[in-house]
Amino acid sequence: MISFILRRLASAVPTLFIVVTLSFFLMRFAPGGPFNLERPLPPSTMENLMRTYHLDQPLWRQYVHYLSNAVTGDFGPSYIYHDNNVAQLIGKGLPYSMELGFYALLLAVVGGVITGTIAALKQNSFLDFAVMSVSTIGVTVPNFVVGPVLTLIFAIMLAWLPAGGWGDGSLRFLILPMIALALPQLAVFARLTRGSMIEALHTDHIRTAKAYGLPSRAVVVTHAMRGAMLPVVSYLAPCAAALLTGSAVVETIFTIPGVGRYFVLGAINRDYTLVMGTVILIAIFVILFNLLVDILYGLLDPRVRHD
Amino acid sequence: MTDIAQIPASAPETRGRSLFQLAALRFRRNRPAMAGCVMLVLIGLFSFVGPLFSPHSYDQVFPSYVTIGPSLEPRPDSSTLQGVMEGVASRARVRLTEFAVEDQSFTATVTSDAPIDPRATRYFDRANEFENTKVVATEGDGRTLKVEGDVAREYFPFGTDSNGRDLLVRVMLGGQISIAVGLLASLVSLGIGVLYGATSGYIGGRVDNVMMRFVEILYSLPFVFLVVVLVVFFGRSFILIFLVIGAVEWLDMARIVRGQTLALKRREFVGAAQALGLTDWQIIRRHIIPNTIGPVIVFVTVVVPKVILLESFLSFLGLGVQAPLTSWGALISEGANNIQSAPWLLIFPAIFFVLTLFSLNFVGDGLRDALDPKDR
Amino acid sequence: MTEMQDAILAVRGLKVDFSTPDGTVEAVKGIDLDVRSGETLAVVGESGSGKSQTMMGIMGLLANNGTVTGSALYRGQELVGLPPKALNRVRGSKITMIFQEPMTSLDPLYTIGRQIAEPIVHHRGGTFKGARKRVLELLELVGIPEAQRRIDSYPHELSGGQRQRVMIAMALANEPDILIADEPTTALDVTIQAQILDLLKALQTRFGMAIVLITHDLGIVKHFAERVAVMRRGEVVEQGTTADIFERPEADYTRMLLEAEPSGHKAPPPDNAPIILEGRNVGVDYTIPGGLFRGASTAFRAVDGVSLRLRQGQTIGIVGESGSGKSTLGRALLRLLPSSGYYRFGSTDISGFDRGAMRPLRRQLQLVFQDPYGSLSPRRTVGEIITEGLHVHEPDLSRADRDRRAIAALKEVGLDPASRNRYPHEFSGGQRQRIAIARAIILKPKVVILDEPTSALDRSVQGQVIALLRDLQEKHGLSYIFISHDLSVVKAMSDYVIVMKNGRIVEEGETDAIFKAPREPYTKTLIGAAFNV
Repeated sequence: MISFILRRLASAVPTLFIVVTLSFFLMRFAPGGPFNLERPLPPSTMENLMRTYHLDQPLWRQYVHYLSNAVTGDFGPSYIYHDNNVAQLIGKGLPYSMELGFYALLLAVVGGVITGTIAALKQNSFLDFAVMSVSTIGVTVPNFVVGPVLTLIFAIMLAWLPAGGWGDGSLRFLILPMIALALPQLAVFARLTRGSMIEALHTDHIRTAKAYGLPSRAVVVTHAMRGAMLPVVSYLAPCAAALLTGSAVVETIFTIPGVGRYFVLGAINRDYTLVMGTVILIAIFVILFNLLVDILYGLLDPRVRHD
Repeated sequence: MTDIAQIPASAPETRGRSLFQLAALRFRRNRPAMAGCVMLVLIGLFSFVGPLFSPHSYDQVFPSYVTIGPSLEPRPDSSTLQGVMEGVASRARVRLTEFAVEDQSFTATVTSDAPIDPRATRYFDRANEFENTKVVATEGDGRTLKVEGDVAREYFPFGTDSNGRDLLVRVMLGGQISIAVGLLASLVSLGIGVLYGATSGYIGGRVDNVMMRFVEILYSLPFVFLVVVLVVFFGRSFILIFLVIGAVEWLDMARIVRGQTLALKRREFVGAAQALGLTDWQIIRRHIIPNTIGPVIVFVTVVVPKVILLESFLSFLGLGVQAPLTSWGALISEGANNIQSAPWLLIFPAIFFVLTLFSLNFVGDGLRDALDPKDR
Repeated sequence: MTEMQDAILAVRGLKVDFSTPDGTVEAVKGIDLDVRSGETLAVVGESGSGKSQTMMGIMGLLANNGTVTGSALYRGQELVGLPPKALNRVRGSKITMIFQEPMTSLDPLYTIGRQIAEPIVHHRGGTFKGARKRVLELLELVGIPEAQRRIDSYPHELSGGQRQRVMIAMALANEPDILIADEPTTALDVTIQAQILDLLKALQTRFGMAIVLITHDLGIVKHFAERVAVMRRGEVVEQGTTADIFERPEADYTRMLLEAEPSGHKAPPPDNAPIILEGRNVGVDYTIPGGLFRGASTAFRAVDGVSLRLRQGQTIGIVGESGSGKSTLGRALLRLLPSSGYYRFGSTDISGFDRGAMRPLRRQLQLVFQDPYGSLSPRRTVGEIITEGLHVHEPDLSRADRDRRAIAALKEVGLDPASRNRYPHEFSGGQRQRIAIARAIILKPKVVILDEPTSALDRSVQGQVIALLRDLQEKHGLSYIFISHDLSVVKAMSDYVIVMKNGRIVEEGETDAIFKAPREPYTKTLIGAAFNV
C-alpha cells in the first residue's frame, strides 16, 4: 500500500511538471501583458516594472527562474495585488473555498446517493420520475441562475438568510452558496447512483442473495449498494477537486473571499504568476484526489487491491 | 424442427431491418424523447426562423422603451401617450395645447411664443411612439401648429432590456449563437476525439500507452480555466469560442472511442475480416467505425448541452461573444444582475435555455435506450 | 395417489409470462411437475424451452417484467404469490439453488466465507463469527483444499470449479429439502464437470435432499437422474423414468434430441494425399505488457513446440480444455498472430510471410469462429458480409457476379438466398453459423479452420451444422482443422485427433485409436468425463 502511494506520488511529479510548463508557455505566447492597461504607462515606468518582475529577460530564463522558485514554494509576486504574493493570496482564500466546498460536497454526496438509491429501488414509479426530473433540472440549470434565484427568494423576498458575504462564517451565510454549489453535483450523484444501482440490482449475485432468502435490506445494503458505489466513488475525485478549489461563479455571486475568483481575475488581468499559482493548486488537488479515490476504490473492491 | 424452416418464405427481395432502423423504431416509441425532439425543433425554428417575422432587429434600440416589462398589449398604451407627447413638446420647445389619439393616429396642437419651424415635426418622429408626423394647419403667424401623424405601436411580448432592445429578438439571436456554438464545438470535439481514440485504440501497444498518458496529463489541467485563459488571451470571436471549447471537450470522446475500438478489436468479426485478408484501413472503415457510431451519437447528446453550459459560463464571466451579439448565457447573466428590478430579463432566456437542455437530455436518454445493445 | 403424497414439490398449471414492448411472451405455458423426496429430477430442454424460468418463477426470482401464475406446493405450502417475507423463510433454507456462472453468481466484493455464512446467519440466527466453524466444515465437505486459508479468499482468487464448490457449500449450509441446480456444469471444463456432478451425487446420498437438475445436456442426465422431464417451448413434452425416456421415448421431440447426439465416422484420406498445411515446432508467446511505470512485461507461452501436418481431405480434431492453447494454435497456423516455427502451405514456405505476403493466400485458408453472434458485424447485411472476401480477392467481379456467388453460397449452406438483404440479428444461432460458413466457402478455400463451430449451438442444431460441414468437405475436397472441447463432436467429425494441454500435445493419433485405447491418463480422464464411462 505504502509503495503504491509512493509510486503514484512519484508519477505525479512529471505530470505536474508538464502542466506547469504547458500553462507557462501557453500564457506567454498570448498577446498582451499585465501592464498593458487602457492608459499606457510611461515608457520609463514600464521598463522599471518589467525589470522588477524579470519580464525583460529571455523567456527560457524566466521559466527556469519560475520553476526553481516554485519548487521552494515561492510562486512569485502578484502583478495586480501588489500587497501580497501569490502564495499569500491563495493561503488567504483557500480556507474559505475549502470550507464551503466541503459542506457542498457533503450535501451533494449524501443527498445524491440517497435520492439515487430511492429512485433505483422504485424504478419507473412516480417517485423515480420525480427524482429524475428534478435532478435533470439540477444538471441543466446553471448555478449562475440558481444563485440569483435563491438570493431573490430567501434573502430578498423572505429575508431569512443573508444575500452574501462570509460574515462570521456561521452556517447562515453558508447555506445559499452551499446549495448553489452542491445542486448540480447532487444531481450528477443522484443519476450516477440510480444508474449503477439499477445495474447492480440486475446482477447474478443479487439473484443469488435473493435465492438464499436474505431480507431485502441485506440484499440492497450489503450486496447491491457496495457494488453500486464504485462508479460513484470514481466521480468523487474530479468533483471534490472542483468543489474544494472554489467556484468563480458562486464566489462572485455571493461575494465570498475564496480562491475561486482568482483564476478568472488573474486571467483577465494577465496576472501570470497568479494564474500559474491557481493552475498548480488545482492540478495538485486533482492528482491528490485521484490518489485518494484509488485507495478508497481498492478498499471497496478486493479485485483492485494495491500492494 | 430444423432452424432452416424458420426463415419466412417471403418475397424474394425482402429487406431486413438494420439495427439502425430498429433503434429508430424504439426511439419513436419513447414518448419523452420524441417530445424532446419536437421541442428542439420548435426552439430551433424559433431561434433561426423567428427573426424573419419580427419587425425589430436584435441591435435596434428603442430609447422610449428601456426596461419595460413583458406584455401582449401594444406599446405605447394610450394613457401614457399624453405624457410622452408633453416630453416631445418640451424637447421641441413648444407648448402642447391639445392632444388626441384616435385609433392609429393622433392630432396635436402646439403653440409657442415665436413662430415654429415646421421642421420641428422631426422631434415627433424621433420619439419611438410617433411616426409620419406632418403639419396640417398653421395658425397665428406660425405660432400655433396643428400636426397629425400615426401612432407607432410596437409589440414587446418579452419586454425590453436595459438598453431598450426587444428581448424577444435578443432571445432568438442568443438561441442562434448558443445552438451554433453547441453544435460546432461538439463537431470539433467529435472530429478530434474519434480520430485520436480510434488511432490509439487500433494501433495499441506502446503508441496507445503514450497517447493515453498524454490524455491523462490534459485531464489534470483545470480545463474550464484553460478555456478562460485561451479566450482571454486570444480574443473573443465567435469562431474562437467554439474552437476552444471543442478543443477542450474532446478528451472524453477520445476515451470512449478508444474503449469501443479496443472492445471491437477483440470481436470475432474483426478476426474474420483479418482472416479474409482485409487491410487495416478497410477494417477500420467497414467494421470499426460503423460499430462505434451508437455510443458516439449518445455521447454527442451529452456534449452539446455541456458545451452550451460552458459557453454560458464564459458569457457569465463576460468572456462570451461581444455585444451587440449575444447568447443565452450572456442574456441570463445580464438578467441575473437585474433580477430585482427586471426579473423577466432572467426568466425568458432561462426558460429557453433550460428547455433546450432538458430536451437534449431526454433525447440523449432516449437514444441511449434505443441504441443500447443490452436491450436486444 | 401415493405418487402425489410423495411429492414434496408439486407444480400444477404453472405459467410464466414476460411483458415486452412487442407484447406478452409466454415462457412457460402451464406445466405440471412433481419433485419427490430424495430423488433426482432432470429438466431437459434447449435454450428458450422455459426450463430455467419455471424454477425462477417458483423461487420468486423472475425479472421485473415477468409474472408467474398457477400453483407450486412445497409440503402443502403454496409458493406462488407468497409475500417475499414468507417466501424468504423457504428460499435458502428449505429450497436452495446453484447457478450456471459461479463467477458472477458470487458477490465479488465479499470473501467466500462470509457469503456462505450469510444464509446460516439469516435463517438460523447467530453471528458471522459463530458461523465460521460451520463454514469451515462445509468447505471441507465440498472438497476445497486448505479450507482454513480459503475461507478468507475472494471469488476471483478461486478457479471456476472451486467457485462452483463454494456455491454448493452455500446451498448445503441449511441442509435443504430440495437443491435446484441450474446448468451447474455448463461453464466448466469437462473434467471439472464430472467432479462437480460426482460431488453432488455423493452429497445427495449423504444428506438425502432432492435435486432438480436443469440442463440442456442429455449426456449428463443418463447417469445422474432418476426421472426426466423434457421441455420444449414452455411445455413439458414428456416425463418419466430415465430408463423409459432413453429407451422408449414417446414424443418425437425426445427422439430427435436423443438422435441429435453426434454420431458417424469419417474415413481417413488416402495415404498418398498431399500435405496441404504443415506447422513444425509452432510456438506462441503472449506478453502481458508492463506500463510506462509498471516495470517489465511478463511473457507466457500459449503454444509450445507443436507440430502438425494436414493432408488434403483430412480433418484433424484438436481437443483440449480452456487455456490449452488450441485456438491460439489454429490462429498461428493461419499466420494471424506472431509466432515462431516453420510453416508450409502446399509447397510454399510461408514461415517468413508478413501480412502483405499472406494476403493473396488468405482466400485458400479460411476460419470459422465459435460465437455466431460475435463473428458477424451487426451493422452489415448478410450479403455484404459473405461477399466481403470477394472484394479483396476478386476485385474485378461485377456486382451481378458477386450477387450470383452470394446466392450460390447461401443455397449451399441451406439458407434462403432472399435473406441476403437481412441483418445478422434477424437470424437464429444455427443460421448465423451457416452464414459464417458461407463467408468462408464463397472464396473456395482449400483449408478451413473451425474454431469450436458448434459449441454455442443447441444439440439439435449442432447435428445439422456438422452434417453441413461434412457435405461441404466431400463436395469441395476441403481440409479441416476442427478445434473443440466437445469430444463427441470431434469423434464424429475428424479422422485424426490431437489432445492438447497447457500449450503442448499430450497425445495424438487416428480417431479410433485415441477413443478406443487412449494411452495417456489425461486423455483417459477427458474421455471418461465426456462419455460418462
